[in-house]
Amino acid sequence: MPETSKSLIPSFHRPPSRVAIRRNASYQQDLAAVVCETLCEFDLPVRGKKVLLKPNFVGPDPLGIMNTHPLVIAAARESFLRLGAAQVLIGDGPAMDRDTQAVLESVSLREYAGPLSRIFVDLNVDDVQRVSLPTRASRLKELYLPKTVLGADFLVSMPKLKTHHWAGVTLSLKNMFGIVPGSCYGWPKNVLHWAGIDRSILDINAAARPDFAIVDGIMGMEGNGPLQGDPKKCGVLVFGDDPVAVDATCCRVMELVPEKIKYLAAAGTFLGHLNAAKIKQLGESVESVRTPFSVLKEFARLRAN
Amino acid sequence: MTLARATASEEEIDPIDVSFGECLSGSRLEGTQNEDGGWGFHAEAQSRVEPTCWAILTLLQIGADKNFSECVLRGLRFLRSAQLPNGSWPAVPGQQDGSWVTSLACWVLLHARHLEGADTPAAAGFRWLCDDWPKDTSAWRRVLGRFSREDVVNHNPSYRGWGWTPRTASWVEPTSFALIALSQSPQELLPRVAKRRERLAKSLLCDRMCPGGGWNCGNPRTYGVPGEPLVCPTVWALIALRNESNRPEVQESLAWLEKNLTNFRSSASLALARICLETYGRNVTIRDQYIQRAFGKNDFPEDTTAIAWISLACKARPYWLLNPAENG
Repeated sequence: MPETSKSLIPSFHRPPSRVAIRRNASYQQDLAAVVCETLCEFDLPVRGKKVLLKPNFVGPDPLGIMNTHPLVIAAARESFLRLGAAQVLIGDGPAMDRDTQAVLESVSLREYAGPLSRIFVDLNVDDVQRVSLPTRASRLKELYLPKTVLGADFLVSMPKLKTHHWAGVTLSLKNMFGIVPGSCYGWPKNVLHWAGIDRSILDINAAARPDFAIVDGIMGMEGNGPLQGDPKKCGVLVFGDDPVAVDATCCRVMELVPEKIKYLAAAGTFLGHLNAAKIKQLGESVESVRTPFSVLKEFARLRAN
Repeated sequence: MTLARATASEEEIDPIDVSFGECLSGSRLEGTQNEDGGWGFHAEAQSRVEPTCWAILTLLQIGADKNFSECVLRGLRFLRSAQLPNGSWPAVPGQQDGSWVTSLACWVLLHARHLEGADTPAAAGFRWLCDDWPKDTSAWRRVLGRFSREDVVNHNPSYRGWGWTPRTASWVEPTSFALIALSQSPQELLPRVAKRRERLAKSLLCDRMCPGGGWNCGNPRTYGVPGEPLVCPTVWALIALRNESNRPEVQESLAWLEKNLTNFRSSASLALARICLETYGRNVTIRDQYIQRAFGKNDFPEDTTAIAWISLACKARPYWLLNPAENG
């Protein structure tokens, strides 16, 4: 994990962030090659390190629009191992269903990533440690967080590209809700909603800011996300070394204005870059992959046009 | 009711000469108890109230003809030491506020009354539970709700249950656990408000049922779109409503559970479904071997909660769900 102080550097003192967009029409392409090649461009300091991949697992997903696709996760795991990581774990704490085994059966991760007993950590029931939150965006002040997350050297948020009926969008920052253990806070992690979703997102990411993000946008979800929305094919993977910059770029791809999303606007002041001028774009341009996502009428104000 | 995949797979499994559940819990639970008397969610994990409760309940259930009493006594000592001065139990030792696990702790203490005096801590736990009202349906919020332009989840705010954490909102599973614990208690241990809370909570569960039967965490509709039921909340809600079997919500949800059995892949879900159906006296065809087979594929073979639920499911009759007085 990075030093807390490094994660809270205000945007105007940060060097530019890097975000790469890769076009991928389907999950059947050689994702491992695409992921590995892209990660090499970032020259990430993962050799000999403990890497934790944090996907977004929700539950049964016959259309493949709710959970991070297991092929993307398997490709990322293989790529980080190729880059010399000492250990690459996958960890999530599903928010709705306390039977994580049932969730894993439904997402078929084992079929693509191999036996999970040594590489998957159920963050809902991991050992925990009390963490005093470095920010006071919400009134939470402290959280019990999984030791696997706190002990990781390099944390990778791997969300699905989705709209969200409370927060506007759910991407690499919102995905970090999944590190908060259900065994302490319940299913769903209602204490975070109670403290304010936008504010909780800020506090959690200030305490455990992802070092990197890989967004599964090959097939996304629009409308009444994150559970009951409609499929939206977008055909991209988005990578980046700054979760705020990655999420802002994803919003622009979805034709939403990141500055209008409350938690992203606030995150842009101390967690990373929101401003496109401070984001070095690699791979495809935003314009070339732009795909308008529909939103609930309550979020019509987020639309670019 | 038949379970096609179970029938097909049974021939592939060697016959077992001891109950899978007893064998599993005997060897695993006894061996994974921590020095402090508690259990973690998996072997060598920090002791927590929830897995300790499931482990004790299981050992009490299978322990009549086995010598697990020392394990149970140590577990009970851990539970008592984890209780907070206000009578509640925290989800994590060190947490300063109580949580939903208070219901589990009270439930377990009542079942262990014959071993050690449990009335005082259980009564304190029940007092805390009955004093903890969810804030989302407070009188003030209900007034505010009348002026709100839209109701995203469309709950009936006059019904009130319990939350995962105190003073927040009602959810299906913590409400169910509280109802189960209250139903196990002799009246003299309960505060006067308990009856009212039970009535409101049962109504809340019925209000929160998903269209077509079954429960999810507690939002049967969001923006008018029906939610999908899940096994765990459905089972615990049905068990909490087991004395209300004539309610249409109960019948509809039992039908959902039976209809969807063949889709359940995890051993914990199968075990819970079996416990629930047996509680209602249904003809259950989820056999030990099928649960064993699912457990063999489990990615978390040291999961204390799953081991406990499977062990409890493999007992012929769920005595642990009866009022301890009835259990004899």
